[in-house]
Amino acid sequence: MKLDRSRALVLPLALLIGLLAGAGDGLLGICGPFTDVAADVFCPFVLEIFYLGITTGTTSTTYDPASNVSRLQMAAFLSRTVDGALGRGSRRAALDQFWTSQNDSAFGLTTLNTATTPSGMIRSDGADLWVANRGGMVSRVRGSDGKLLETWTGATMGFGVLTAMGRVLVGGGTNPGNLYEIDPSQPAGAVSTVASSLGNSPFEIAFDGSRVWMANIDGTLSIVTPGAAIPWTATTVTSGLSTLRGLLYDGSNIWAANQVPGRLLQLDPAGAVLNTVVVGLNAGFPIFDGANIWVPNSSDDSVSVVRASSGVVLATLTGNGLSSPQVAAFDGQRVLVTNNLTGADRVSLWKAADLTPLGSFSTGAGTKPFGAASDGVHFWIVLAPVNKLARF
Amino acid sequence: MKTLRPSGVLAVVALAGLSLVAGGLGEALGNCGPFTDVAADVFCPFVLEIFYLGITTGTTATTYDPASNVTRLQMAAFLSRTVDGVLKRGSRRAALDQFWTSTNGTILGATTLGGTCRLLKSDGADIWVANTGAGTVNRVRASDGKVLETSTSANLAFGVLVAMGRIFVSGGTNPGSLYGIDPSQPAGAVTILASNVGIGAQGITFDGARIWTANGNGTVSIITPGPSIPWTVTTVTIGLQLNGAVFDGNSVWVTEVASPGKLDKLDANGAVLMSVTAGTTPLHPVFDGSNIWVPGGTSNATVVRASTGAILSILTGNGLENGGTVAAFDGQRVLFTAQNSDLVSIWKAADLSPITNVSLGDIPFGACSDGVYFWVTVQGGGRLLRF
Repeated sequence: MKLDRSRALVLPLALLIGLLAGAGDGLLGICGPFTDVAADVFCPFVLEIFYLGITTGTTSTTYDPASNVSRLQMAAFLSRTVDGALGRGSRRAALDQFWTSQNDSAFGLTTLNTATTPSGMIRSDGADLWVANRGGMVSRVRGSDGKLLETWTGATMGFGVLTAMGRVLVGGGTNPGNLYEIDPSQPAGAVSTVASSLGNSPFEIAFDGSRVWMANIDGTLSIVTPGAAIPWTATTVTSGLSTLRGLLYDGSNIWAANQVPGRLLQLDPAGAVLNTVVVGLNAGFPIFDGANIWVPNSSDDSVSVVRASSGVVLATLTGNGLSSPQVAAFDGQRVLVTNNLTGADRVSLWKAADLTPLGSFSTGAGTKPFGAASDGVHFWIVLAPVNKLARF
Repeated sequence: MKTLRPSGVLAVVALAGLSLVAGGLGEALGNCGPFTDVAADVFCPFVLEIFYLGITTGTTATTYDPASNVTRLQMAAFLSRTVDGVLKRGSRRAALDQFWTSTNGTILGATTLGGTCRLLKSDGADIWVANTGAGTVNRVRASDGKVLETSTSANLAFGVLVAMGRIFVSGGTNPGSLYGIDPSQPAGAVTILASNVGIGAQGITFDGARIWTANGNGTVSIITPGPSIPWTVTTVTIGLQLNGAVFDGNSVWVTEVASPGKLDKLDANGAVLMSVTAGTTPLHPVFDGSNIWVPGGTSNATVVRASTGAILSILTGNGLENGGTVAAFDGQRVLFTAQNSDLVSIWKAADLSPITNVSLGDIPFGACSDGVYFWVTVQGGGRLLRF
């Protein structure tokens, strides 16, 4: 079996010189560097995957066009295709931002006027970031330059944040819980309470296209149906577990993460449990990457990667700076996880497509990173003890 | 650095009363992830990546059969899953954790503009809406739906084009008009760039150098930007009535009301190179990078391969029963507004399969995408909905 050669294609010196000199493919081969590919309608396709690095040829001058492709070779081609398409198609590529910030001195920092109250979650609306905190304030920060635009008030014990329906919704971690609403097109002021009498101390909130879901610390789920009049209708169902925290929607189902025991629950539209997946201890705030769910497990310093379509645990990631991991975020290519253990002060980064580690990075001493989200260009990280929002 | 801890302990999954066992994960069970027949060599990461991405599931839970050849049928499955996965992960919606599709009209973000809103376009940050009834062009911030500005004096404003750092609007007057807005300046009256466009200008597009309008009197106007106003206009007769215009990277296409309706491919001078049958009163199409989606106006939509002009499919159902008006594309999905009902119809662009149709509670007209949301104008109250 002829295997396509590895990524590192070393061109013969003569060929390299020829390419640098702008030599035409007639001098080098019939189709680009390849002497065994006809200059016909298929040549541009071969050249495209060669120039993109999807294939390196069987030698520096041959492509072996008539041979079949083995499944092993195909894996290489497809893997490189995915990586190339995601890399080129990202907004970071168009903005010429191929770097990964290596330390906290390279971050952009925004000072929030939320004092140093415990952090809540953060979400992007595509342009601005919305940050909740337990002190009742919700900050709006412009993504392009990190400027603090507005601070809304009255979101008592604000924690979870959701941007949906043209609004910003914030979960109030009171007992009973509340759901607050912000109309971002209006001047900043006090939030509106659109639902109350929810489950005890909601953490994360999610949206399924018509209803708002809230995961509550008492193990219940509150399902809120937006309506024309306030209060919005809410139902609260029990999950059978005791300490729900994280929540997400994968395009088909809501999933909830339970702290102890560490479980990830797949829910039906009524909130009934369809599927219980065993994950690590103290499951936190997961993220969906389009195929898999990444669940930070704070007590065993791991991240469980669960295939959403089947509920199968694909891998349990450890190391790479994980130290009381709390919140996961996805930017289209990478998954970032915040580590909240005192003294850890790091975020961990993985390549989402193959689960390989990309390193961990300090956010600065005493910063205890918690909430995290992406706007498609940057990751944004809440550093509550120092009252900052970091752009990674 | 310890990085990947294999799931040596089987992950127990209770699925609808059944127990699933995620066996074979990790080096403890296979040489390469769950696979016992793949060597832990330079190819293993590639195999694992397409496994984690769901592009392959292996031939069994523990085998990949690496030495076998790939049939063209298997290849189709692999490539299809690859395209779907890349588009889904690469979309802005994924980065913003927005995997939902709005399922009813009551939960949509709404901005009230008044008048009669027609076509609209995104400049990447803001939405620009042509308001025929008010003779205005509204600028709405996409992130929060706030009305930022209103430009005036755009009599019978209809189509919108974002190009050259400007906003261009077709005016369905007699003769037709081309209006311009410099978005870096405070809003005021639009600039009339040309006032001798074909009668009833509607659809508007750009080919990289010139602006094209499809006109209600069956002509196409080709407008060449210049340093002074008015800009030069060349008008070519195509048929009796034109509606939409779209540029596919190579050619301009226009929709022509005829019996049956047509999608006409034009050369650089506006001459018809090819006509493709499309509905009865085809309106405002969209190009998805490969294919042109043409709302047929009555009860269907036609999908045409731009490179050949071949009709790939005539779509029916999924809310198209009452006719389509305007098509929009967000990178993954195509949305049609309906002509005679309150529905929008949503399709997966990659395989032409229906996704859903949603009632808005009011008859929609124009539609566009900013890459995150679809934006739809509805006729009642001059509203702009974020879908």
